[in-house]
Amino acid sequence: MRFISYLLALLAGAALSFEGAIYAELGKTIGQIETSFYNFFMGSIILGLLWLFFGKGKISYTLEAPKWSLLGGVLGVVYLTSIVVSVPFVGVGITMVAVIIGQLVMSMVIEHFGWLGSKKIKINKEKIFAVISMIISLILIN
Amino acid sequence: MGLFMILFTLIGGITLSAQSSINGTFSRKAGTIETTLLTFLTGTMFLTIFILFFGSGNVLALLDAPKWQLSAAFMGTMYLLLTVMAVPRIGVIATNIAGIAGQLIIGVIIDHFGWFNSLVIELDAKRAFALLFMIISLYFIYKGNKGSNKENS
Repeated sequence: MRFISYLLALLAGAALSFEGAIYAELGKTIGQIETSFYNFFMGSIILGLLWLFFGKGKISYTLEAPKWSLLGGVLGVVYLTSIVVSVPFVGVGITMVAVIIGQLVMSMVIEHFGWLGSKKIKINKEKIFAVISMIISLILIN
Repeated sequence: MGLFMILFTLIGGITLSAQSSINGTFSRKAGTIETTLLTFLTGTMFLTIFILFFGSGNVLALLDAPKWQLSAAFMGTMYLLLTVMAVPRIGVIATNIAGIAGQLIIGVIIDHFGWFNSLVIELDAKRAFALLFMIISLYFIYKGNKGSNKENS
């Protein structure tokens, strides 16, 4: 049954690429920031419904939480807008490779220093090899 | 222009990674659905103000846009749900790596066939090698994480 879980995770990633390609097209007609807005607006409605029916957590924690931990939404806006802007110029493949590299390298840095409340995990030899291979990949794909 | 776009997208990846750390911390106390809802709500608020002042497109054109273009909003939700289903069974690292593999494979396929009216970029030997290096890099990340998990426990 583990096989199915890997398949689900693969599908999840595929959904992100489809999203990027489709939003790029929508961005050409209604505008890029407007496309981001649509995504977050629609997402709020979908998640609002999910929360009403299946939410088990504590939404009131929002008011007690440290303010920096509320910045996720704004950061997500930068991500989505960069995809909508970039796909029509360089294609989905390069866009995804660049996003993934930014994401993986930054995660290593965040974990290395234990920033933003994450567990401290030192950068090791393997991770440096990983970054080198990623950069080679980006040069080749471009 | 292309290089500038790649840099811009790298920044997008950087902010995404900061987002997942922040949301991870927040969700430990608030819950997964609650965290995601908050992310979307604050994103909407921010963009509403931004569009009012700087928007040059036309939000109302959404009503005339082909429905398949609007379906992308469900893709993001699908990503979240599928991830939440996979993580407890195979772990965060394996889920992320499988997810990235899916993202790259479909990304290259979309380019190759020019689906959704996108740029047509053929899957040639150079691109195949690029994918190979991405896979090697994912393998090293998997190994590197296994190593550091052992040291911590």
